[in-house]
Amino acid sequence: MNVELQINNSTSTRARFVSWVPSPCRIRITNPSGAASSHNMNIKLSSVSAASGGEVVFRKGTTGAFASTITLSVPINGTSVPFFVAGRFGRPSANNGDVKIEARLGNALVGSIKLMVRVRKNANNLTTGERDRLVAAFAQLNNQGAGRFADFRDMHTNVSSPQAHGAPGFLPWHRAYLIDLERELQNIDPSVALPYWRFDQASPNIFTLDFFGVSNTLGTVQFSPTNPLQFWRTDGVPGINRRPFFATNTAPPGLRTEAQTLALGNAYPAFRTMEGNPHGSAHVSFGGYISSIPTAARDPLFFLLHCNVDRLWAKWQRQFSRFDPAVAASFDGAANPIGHNLPDTMWPWNGITTPPRPPTAPGGALASSPCVSAPGPQPRVRDSLDYQGVINSVSSMGFDYDDVPFA
Amino acid sequence: MTTKRKATKKSAKPRSTRAAMSVAISKSKPVKERVAALAEVPLAVCESDKDLQATLNVLRDQDEPIEVRLASLQSLQAASFSVIAFESCRADYIATLRKVATDPNPELRQRVLGILAREKDGFAQKKLLEGLQNPTKALVPPEKALQLLSYDIHSEAYSVARKVVENPPNEDAKREALRLLAADAKSAPLFEKLLRDKNENAEIRQISAAALQALKPEKLQSNARDILLDDSDYDDIRATSLTALTQFGDAEAVAKDETLKKHVGKMSEKGGAKVKRSARQFMSKYGR
Repeated sequence: MNVELQINNSTSTRARFVSWVPSPCRIRITNPSGAASSHNMNIKLSSVSAASGGEVVFRKGTTGAFASTITLSVPINGTSVPFFVAGRFGRPSANNGDVKIEARLGNALVGSIKLMVRVRKNANNLTTGERDRLVAAFAQLNNQGAGRFADFRDMHTNVSSPQAHGAPGFLPWHRAYLIDLERELQNIDPSVALPYWRFDQASPNIFTLDFFGVSNTLGTVQFSPTNPLQFWRTDGVPGINRRPFFATNTAPPGLRTEAQTLALGNAYPAFRTMEGNPHGSAHVSFGGYISSIPTAARDPLFFLLHCNVDRLWAKWQRQFSRFDPAVAASFDGAANPIGHNLPDTMWPWNGITTPPRPPTAPGGALASSPCVSAPGPQPRVRDSLDYQGVINSVSSMGFDYDDVPFA
Repeated sequence: MTTKRKATKKSAKPRSTRAAMSVAISKSKPVKERVAALAEVPLAVCESDKDLQATLNVLRDQDEPIEVRLASLQSLQAASFSVIAFESCRADYIATLRKVATDPNPELRQRVLGILAREKDGFAQKKLLEGLQNPTKALVPPEKALQLLSYDIHSEAYSVARKVVENPPNEDAKREALRLLAADAKSAPLFEKLLRDKNENAEIRQISAAALQALKPEKLQSNARDILLDDSDYDDIRATSLTALTQFGDAEAVAKDETLKKHVGKMSEKGGAKVKRSARQFMSKYGR
């Protein structure tokens, strides 16, 4: 007898990625030969982890506790049975396929599928493999200035800046921006998740020749000859300028800590003042590309910095249950500039190029995912809040942070 | 002692904007406290013209301690990320930066010129070019001027950069001039020559490889191949060549190149650490 397991309700290998959020899955009997019954068979699912690999847990429905095993009654006639899989919080994967779901009938193995618990991690703690895959994916996306990265660079300029900064849409816009970029990186290497730079902690492992480089006294970033980021190129110019004003084996001084940021207030208007400190302060803890809006996105470190900004928002949302756009404190209900109100679509993904939107919309629609359907190709501000699908499971966006649980 | 520890412990709740600004602009407060206060509330300048002008005054005032002036610059820069809120401050901010660009303090000059150059500010570009053409007028060292000019390259910058490469005042200036020229298609032959010159330092050859890869990828591919087949060349440039071929090479051509694959296969077992690592990556992509 054989069974087929579908992760994220898909048979595609590219859909075999889960986070802390329950992923809808299915099981069906594809070959009933040898079945003892003519009706249903009790199939037991369990998680088998490679050394240092991820771990998954199961539940039958949309609610209830997760368990490390689950037994499902599966019809012999091939009808599929739904169940849910989630990564066990604290047990993310390090490599693609380092956790396996085994399906057993009694002791007999009747099916298995390898998957990955893929979450965004602290960049300072990545394994060598995770680090190397990330820089290779970034380098490929940039493709010496000729790749798709150019669109991401062009999305973040002085002209487009009012769409993304200085108003309530700051956090939603950058969340969509990161998802778009991360999905493009995953098209190159699906095992990659965007990591975050925890700028309130020392992160010496990020600023190394093999990772995001070491700045010389002038601020020119140097890379190891084995690091493909040595071929990084933006605006026709090779390399990266980044001059830290702090010792890179320490945290930049003067930035609000995570605790201070989360204590800014339980309503969004108070919390979003974090755009100044720590966000702006983290940018200007360097000279070079990352310290000015028109050039910031030329430095790939920008995306790790913003990943941490987004993580702080996610933590704040979890702490105060601020996922629901219908709850006033989840956002800023005042009349805001276009692109900063809950019902507004966000540029450039909406393709609108008439004033007050910028005159071009680089990159087209937001990249799709083989795992989830949200936030959609032309996300609105409101679509970015419920990133885990807490309010509505279809809103889940397929990313999670290693230190922000689902429930 | 206990009281002091309590007083210096980081509170989870930040102080009010008003309290922080009052410390930031008070000349009677210790420098460290003023620097910390300026870092705390960058958006204050967007909320009050009085606070903006006070912060700009600190930045302009040559009698202020340089640490406080640099902190005021950083605070304004952080605030400038809130574009909509900062819009009303922008004109005063840029005007102040242009004024401070000629300040006696070299660190402040360098940072301010950097901000202006990233904004493609014509005033800053003119000053930087002038300094390269006439060192007595230079506001920053030549290598820094070249780096800052690369934010918005004009043909005038190319001709200055070529002169620097021909007659470099120092190695850093040569390196930054080459980075600038890496956007100039006419400079491809120069990069090919530098890449193959074993007497050049490793970083110059690395830059040349990156420049050639972008300007003439087929030239980089053939030169990288030659470098890999030459066992007398240095490990650093051989690792760079392997990385270029693995990440950006013409996959079809490389996969068919049995001579190269055989040679790299040997390097993956016998080379230095960097070469071994990149040779293994090459082999895992192109196979044996």
